[in-house]
Amino acid sequence: MKLQLVGCSHRYSSVAARERLAFSPAQAEAALEGLRQRFPQSEAVLLSTCNRVEVYTAAEDPERAPTHQDVAEFLAAFHGLDVLDIFDDLFERTGEDAVRHLFTVAASLDSMVVGEPQIVAQVKQAYDLALAHRSTGPMTNQIFQAALRVAKRVASETSINEKRVSVASLAVADFAKRIFERFDDKHVLAIGAGETCEEALRYLQDEGARDVTVVNRNFERAVALSERWRGRALPWERLGEALAAADLVISTTGAAEPIVTLADFQRIEPARFQRDLFILDLAIPRDFDPAIGDSKNVYLYTIDDLEAACERNRKERERELPAAMRIVEQETAQFMAELRHHATGPIIKRLRQGWEESKDDELRRLFNRLPDLSDRQRDEIRHSFDSLINKLLHPPLKSLRDAAAHGGTLHALRDAMMKLFHLKD
Amino acid sequence: MLSGITIFCFAASYTVALLLEASRLVFRSGVRGALLLGFGGAGLLAHTLFLGHRAIEAGTAPLSSEYDWYLVAAWVLAVVYLYLTLQHPRTAVGLFTLPLVLGLIGCARFADQVPFPRTKASQIWGMIHGGILLLGTIAVLVGFIAGVMHLVQSYRLKHKVRPTQGLQLPSLERLERANSLAVRISALVLLIGFLSGVVLNFVNHGQSEDEYVPWTDPVIWSSGMLLAWLIAAAVFSLVYKPARQGRKVAYLTVASFLFLVLALGVRLLSTTRHGAEGKRGARSAERGETEGRIALLPPGGRA
Repeated sequence: MKLQLVGCSHRYSSVAARERLAFSPAQAEAALEGLRQRFPQSEAVLLSTCNRVEVYTAAEDPERAPTHQDVAEFLAAFHGLDVLDIFDDLFERTGEDAVRHLFTVAASLDSMVVGEPQIVAQVKQAYDLALAHRSTGPMTNQIFQAALRVAKRVASETSINEKRVSVASLAVADFAKRIFERFDDKHVLAIGAGETCEEALRYLQDEGARDVTVVNRNFERAVALSERWRGRALPWERLGEALAAADLVISTTGAAEPIVTLADFQRIEPARFQRDLFILDLAIPRDFDPAIGDSKNVYLYTIDDLEAACERNRKERERELPAAMRIVEQETAQFMAELRHHATGPIIKRLRQGWEESKDDELRRLFNRLPDLSDRQRDEIRHSFDSLINKLLHPPLKSLRDAAAHGGTLHALRDAMMKLFHLKD
Repeated sequence: MLSGITIFCFAASYTVALLLEASRLVFRSGVRGALLLGFGGAGLLAHTLFLGHRAIEAGTAPLSSEYDWYLVAAWVLAVVYLYLTLQHPRTAVGLFTLPLVLGLIGCARFADQVPFPRTKASQIWGMIHGGILLLGTIAVLVGFIAGVMHLVQSYRLKHKVRPTQGLQLPSLERLERANSLAVRISALVLLIGFLSGVVLNFVNHGQSEDEYVPWTDPVIWSSGMLLAWLIAAAVFSLVYKPARQGRKVAYLTVASFLFLVLALGVRLLSTTRHGAEGKRGARSAERGETEGRIALLPPGGRA
């Protein structure tokens, strides 16, 4: 049995290299099909995210499993690249190291932002896609199911992914959700059209927000953004009106002066009837006068407030890392022990079967030569033969089981036993 | 065996549950949830058995004395606590609820154990009066809990305090809804309770002059003040939109609680004829003059 991983990740290769090797969902399907055709005796799962492209392969017969070179050539050919151009960006893990790596990846301990929750879903999607294309097998099924279980265990036994480390996700999860119970009946106002604004909108839509209004000095950009978020665009002059109706505001303009002063806000305040207002001011310099934060039922957060919280969360995640790694190590050791135990099963069965057949032959011959034996005597002889076989088999089987539990000499021992007892694979 | 259960048994269980709730602020624990439910549940069981035993022993329903009334109120609030803990195990609802449960049990320690009057005339109206006022009191207390939670949550959000594992609270929106509902329900229920007390007093005026309570009695005017405030708060929140939102509605429920404390304090500390006939009746009973009457009366003031 050979388990291997070949791929690239943010740890070993540049963004440019990862981009060249990345697979879109449609490409991933084609690649799985290609792997199946090229290595029919091998199982394969392809994991492709922004930060990594990893090809997991496993084969019962190591001779028929694809090598590092084979996978590198496949990746290069698929993307129309020269294999020499990508070879240095690829890394390899085999056996126990490959298992440990997948467990670490699934538990989000190898992510660029440690503890980010998306990776476990991406691992599951990669596995589901491979299942759908029938490129998985007993080995990849076991390892991916175990990886998802490990990710769940790390999430429940540590707080490594409870703490948000991106400004937008922290603002929504740690602050907006403590103000509002639901988002599907809230008015969201996006001022500006920056990347962070879109990220915050994505988190809010994930929470159920539907009513999005976009206001931008450039009306065309406002329209473009509102179409992307299935919202509506308003001209800049109607900012006050939009602010009076809003429950959540995300502001990311590049204005040099505050776009909403305290006086501006006080003018629209009566129309709000002191309704709760969550303002996420992600602009530098700030878009909202900080004094607005002192108004009744207004919760104003600036990038500084949130960055400080993100930094604290990053440190807290790092503190959780050793505990999470201990779980990964424990699960890897357990997984490998189970795997080795399964691997020794057939050899033990064959060994015992061979000896049982010899025993039966000998007994048959003996009973033919001694036809006057009583049933009780025959049973005694049978019992003695069984006992002898068990005693003779005990030391080699114990050595095999010990090796299975602790690894190390298992393969050598297995090969030696197969030669010694003339066992066939 | 039941006679061995004392107030101390369930008060101690609730105190341990409260300490466990407080430990949320200090450390994480995987077994705390089970322990909380264990101690809270054990307290509630002992509390239930204690009230049941008293009812069987005295041959009367619960609420037959000020003492019982406080204990039943504490029991209802403990049920609310356990329900909320089961529904929202990560929310620190016990930190706000259990002190009130223990406070009501503490009030019971100082309350009169002498049964209320038990004339046939006052029996039905007394039951309605006592029971409804108990529900109104619980509504005020639940509103107060939601109000304090709202103020704490709002303060933490204003000061950019990150959510902590130990002090997870419901969202402001949910707390606002609970506050608004508590203001309206408590006003409505206490109005019905107060009116039933007025009817009861009229009934007594015609049939049992000894149980008649003068309209100037401290319990009546303090209860009247509570009711007037609750109605004003409910009307205010209905007609003035900002009072239904944000911290204003939380302030309304906290103020309602202060009026309730005033009314209960007057009942406990003042000289009143409210339930006075009961006391005289009990003393007569001690002298062998048992009247065999039943009535239920809360300390909030039967008019």
